[in-house]
Amino acid sequence: MANHQPAAFEQQPMWAGGRSPFNVSYGKLMMWLFLLSDAFTFSSLLVQYGAQRFSNVQSPIVTKWPDPAAIFNHFPFMHGLHLPLLFVSVMTFILIMSSVTMVLAVEAGHRKSKKEVVRYMVYTIIGGAMFLGCQAWEWSVFIGEGATLYGNQFGITEAGNKVFSALGFGSHFEWEPEYRTAGPVPFAALFFIVTGFHGFHVFSGVVINIVVTIMAARGVFDRRGHYEMIEKAGLYWHFVDLVWVFVFTFFYLI
Amino acid sequence: MEFYNKPGDYDAINYIPETHSHGTKELWRTFWLLLGITLLDFIIYFVMPHTAFRNFIFIFFGIVKAYYIVGAFMHMKYEKINLALIILVPTIFILGLITGLLYEGNALTYCK
Repeated sequence: MANHQPAAFEQQPMWAGGRSPFNVSYGKLMMWLFLLSDAFTFSSLLVQYGAQRFSNVQSPIVTKWPDPAAIFNHFPFMHGLHLPLLFVSVMTFILIMSSVTMVLAVEAGHRKSKKEVVRYMVYTIIGGAMFLGCQAWEWSVFIGEGATLYGNQFGITEAGNKVFSALGFGSHFEWEPEYRTAGPVPFAALFFIVTGFHGFHVFSGVVINIVVTIMAARGVFDRRGHYEMIEKAGLYWHFVDLVWVFVFTFFYLI
Repeated sequence: MEFYNKPGDYDAINYIPETHSHGTKELWRTFWLLLGITLLDFIIYFVMPHTAFRNFIFIFFGIVKAYYIVGAFMHMKYEKINLALIILVPTIFILGLITGLLYEGNALTYCK
């Protein structure tokens, strides 16, 4: 059972010791701090992406950076159609949906309703698995078009090529002769690294959710007296959703 | 002043504060907000020409979405201000770092 904090603790100074100055459990505080460090990891990747991209940009139109709308424009079962942003919006919708079912599971956990927790957690796991499937499809199409970690097969935008080559900057080749590419080299590599890192987080989130769901279904949390483990898994899952918001913004929208 | 952190008083490490449900109304409201903003992203993407202002709108919407995910879904609104500050203050500094490095990266456009 949850052990109760003596009432006297409420009267003593917040930082005097013996109690959490954050009024959360040790586990939840550590999850928050882990998420902070994970936020730094993703930030460093996004900083790298942003600096690389901005070093190829004069304005949103005049850029050597390939236009995402011209590359990520595929949708399953719709061959040959130019459908930018549509598939990735579906992925975003799936992730937002699974975020909602996760938060409903947390809310059910507060009411100690085991049946509802398990049901919503199963929905969340299905959402996460669907997202991973979508990402696998997206990657396979991208790789099928010739994306590699060491070159840029997509060239540069037409407007960018015109302006930069007029200035004498656009038409030069980058890197080793055998990997010659017309556009900025790390375009595909950064996409693979950032979305791959995010996808790996989704994968670990799904694994964590499965473990937690089995524990809930077997009544571990009922015996423990609280469903805090669901909350901690939920924090992680929402963080993954949060990172996707920025990946979506920086890799597809902009 | 008398402190109560004598050993054996109670187990501070395994202490779990009492939680209570805030209801699902706010959660669903947040969901519709997130969905609406994402749809707005989608519409703006096709309606507006690609300008720096459009990028600014997307980033602003991203930060709004982050506010609602962290505030409502991750329960940050209901946590103590101490916890909110140790998480949010370093993140705001990171935003400064990102802005600075974009500026520095942009300065390299004609140097390469």
